[in-house]
Amino acid sequence: MALLELQHLKKYFASQKAVDDISFSVEKGQIFGLLGPNGAGKTTLIRMITGIFYPDEGRIIFDGKKFEPVNDVSMIGYMPEERGLYKKMKIGEQTIYLAQLKGLSRADAQARIKEWFVKFEMESWWNKKVEDLSKGMSQKLQFVTTILHNPKLIILDEPFSGLDPVNTNLIKDEIFKLAQNGSTIIFSTHRMEQVEEICDHIVLVNKGKKILDGSVTQVKQDFKENLFSIGTSQLPAGNGHAPFDVVGAKDHALVVRIREGSRPNDVLQFLLQQGASIQSFNEILPSLNDIFIKLVEGTPTARQFQTVKA
Amino acid sequence: MHKIWLIIKREYLTRVRKKTFIISTLLFPLLYVALIFGMGYIAKESVQNLKIAVIDSSGYFSESMVTRENNADKSSSLILIKNSPEKIIADYKTAGYDGYIVIPPINWKEGTDSLFFKSNKSYGSSATVLVEAKLNRIWNEIKNDSLQIDADKQKILLASHLGLKSKNIKDAKANAKTAEGIGYVAGLLIYLILLIYGSQVMMGVMEEKTNRIAEVIVSSVKPFQMMLGKILGIGLVALTQFFIWIAFVLVIYNIAKATGSGGGAANAMVGQMQNMFSSVDVPLILFCFGFYFLAGFFFYSSLYGAIGSAVNEDMREAQSLSFPITMLVILSIALMTSTISNPTSPIAVWGSIIPFSSPIVMMARVPFGVPNTVPWWQLGLSMLMLILGFIFTVWFAGKIYRTGILMYGKKPSWKEMLRWAFRKN
Repeated sequence: MALLELQHLKKYFASQKAVDDISFSVEKGQIFGLLGPNGAGKTTLIRMITGIFYPDEGRIIFDGKKFEPVNDVSMIGYMPEERGLYKKMKIGEQTIYLAQLKGLSRADAQARIKEWFVKFEMESWWNKKVEDLSKGMSQKLQFVTTILHNPKLIILDEPFSGLDPVNTNLIKDEIFKLAQNGSTIIFSTHRMEQVEEICDHIVLVNKGKKILDGSVTQVKQDFKENLFSIGTSQLPAGNGHAPFDVVGAKDHALVVRIREGSRPNDVLQFLLQQGASIQSFNEILPSLNDIFIKLVEGTPTARQFQTVKA
Repeated sequence: MHKIWLIIKREYLTRVRKKTFIISTLLFPLLYVALIFGMGYIAKESVQNLKIAVIDSSGYFSESMVTRENNADKSSSLILIKNSPEKIIADYKTAGYDGYIVIPPINWKEGTDSLFFKSNKSYGSSATVLVEAKLNRIWNEIKNDSLQIDADKQKILLASHLGLKSKNIKDAKANAKTAEGIGYVAGLLIYLILLIYGSQVMMGVMEEKTNRIAEVIVSSVKPFQMMLGKILGIGLVALTQFFIWIAFVLVIYNIAKATGSGGGAANAMVGQMQNMFSSVDVPLILFCFGFYFLAGFFFYSSLYGAIGSAVNEDMREAQSLSFPITMLVILSIALMTSTISNPTSPIAVWGSIIPFSSPIVMMARVPFGVPNTVPWWQLGLSMLMLILGFIFTVWFAGKIYRTGILMYGKKPSWKEMLRWAFRKN
């Protein structure tokens, strides 16, 4: 059952169509990747899901009912990309305050914070101020404040930026645990290797439109280019009749593209007939990074941004 | 509603617990008291005991007259020089004088306007005025003697005179002098509150925006609640500070009254305050002050909040955008000054009704008396207009705030901000 369903959402600003007719649904317990280049409309989309913006058109169905920001925001935890906490406020007090804004009682908030602080080895932080923390530490704190109220839907925008590998793994494990315990997670990032590792399902948006929607495995299948890596000691002679083209070589292996109409079996058969000694034979699936670049590259917004970033 | 309370509580507590709040709250009245007593002390200490040689060529001055006046007024001592005045003129300093005065051979009926206190230092009028008065008292004695006016006649001459004061025949308690003072202080206090606490609201909003916590908060509460919570929280801080000050004044007043000691300045203050309490309608003034203080604060601080939401971390951007608002407050003070000298002029009346200036101008008028100087309808209309005014500015600011708080990049112009305000959603 879908926890969140977006139906034809539109949000236009004076200068651009930030979100232009986007629909998708997020299943309960899923780790959902919301991908797209900068300026694609991800933040606007997230702000509509978190009730910060009202859509110009379209509907949001949350947990089977029409999304009511006033009540439903307490079931959502949102960690924006641009993180922020009150610098001068004591950490314990601040965390309680943010939890209370999400509807927790003071005592309840306090108990849960203590629990999380123990788990993340943050007990000694209680009376410190945020300005005393390093970037990675405040990132951890921000993560705790996001999930403290046990939200049904957790939206994380670039949750690992600024974290060292140890803390990245710590948070990653918590994300998996949360999903196992029934929370749904929307995960927005540019780091495709993380998406491959974490996400079940992805949606790619660009210039306000959805351009890709599917499970990670499905998407990879859809975009595969019939590339195989063959580990072999030598090139068989007379490959003119071969059912593949050699496109490159890498680490004692050939990268070949199977011709239209042929199957991997044909390739192996051919090689065996030629007397080649085969050490390995693997299908090369495209990485999400490749797919992302392929789909987004060439569109003006993406180019524009890239020049800005460089 | 519950969430607004949380925000108010946070805004209030974080500010009230700050060291700067505690220090400024305690220090301000102490500084004020120190200023009053200090000024009295300085005035007393700075009186110069001038020793002046008086060289009399008119022949009217006698040793006994000068001695009597020297005893009556010790702020200066005059010494009549009988022998070898040239020596004194040439070298008054070694003889121990601060300077000398030569009285030319004048007639007692005419006197002269051209006496000089000659010295190698410059003395201000505060020093010469006392000496002049003393010389005149001696001169009066000389005239009285010449006209043969005895002590009884002198008494009549001095005591019998006509005095004139203005009296408000409708309001027996009215006292223009006190009203001016109260109006001035009340107007000035509101002016300070609007500027100081208004800019606190602006800085608070800017802090949330630059810290990027705004987005976290607006995913829990509506931007409007966030803004209103901040304004109310800071308003409560201002109120707290005022209550502490008022309590402080009352405590000092009662202590000074009870002990009766504490020197002339304290007694004078007690006397002034007793006079003030008896000549004006204190509850009404306090009520009006509370009202205009809060309503004016809402009116202006919401505008300051809107500006805080629109700018980035750059203070200069905030200053240039808030300049028009600050000008309105300063203009109100200018209107107040003319109001105090003429509380029923059309400028005063309209200034006290139009919302942007009414908090300051009306507070300057109310002490002159309601309903005589300020009719009830004017007070009512002014309050109603101000309530409508702040409802409008809070609404307007809320619209700008909602867009501005999540907008980064270029500083918006006032025109753009107006567009945000009137855009649907």
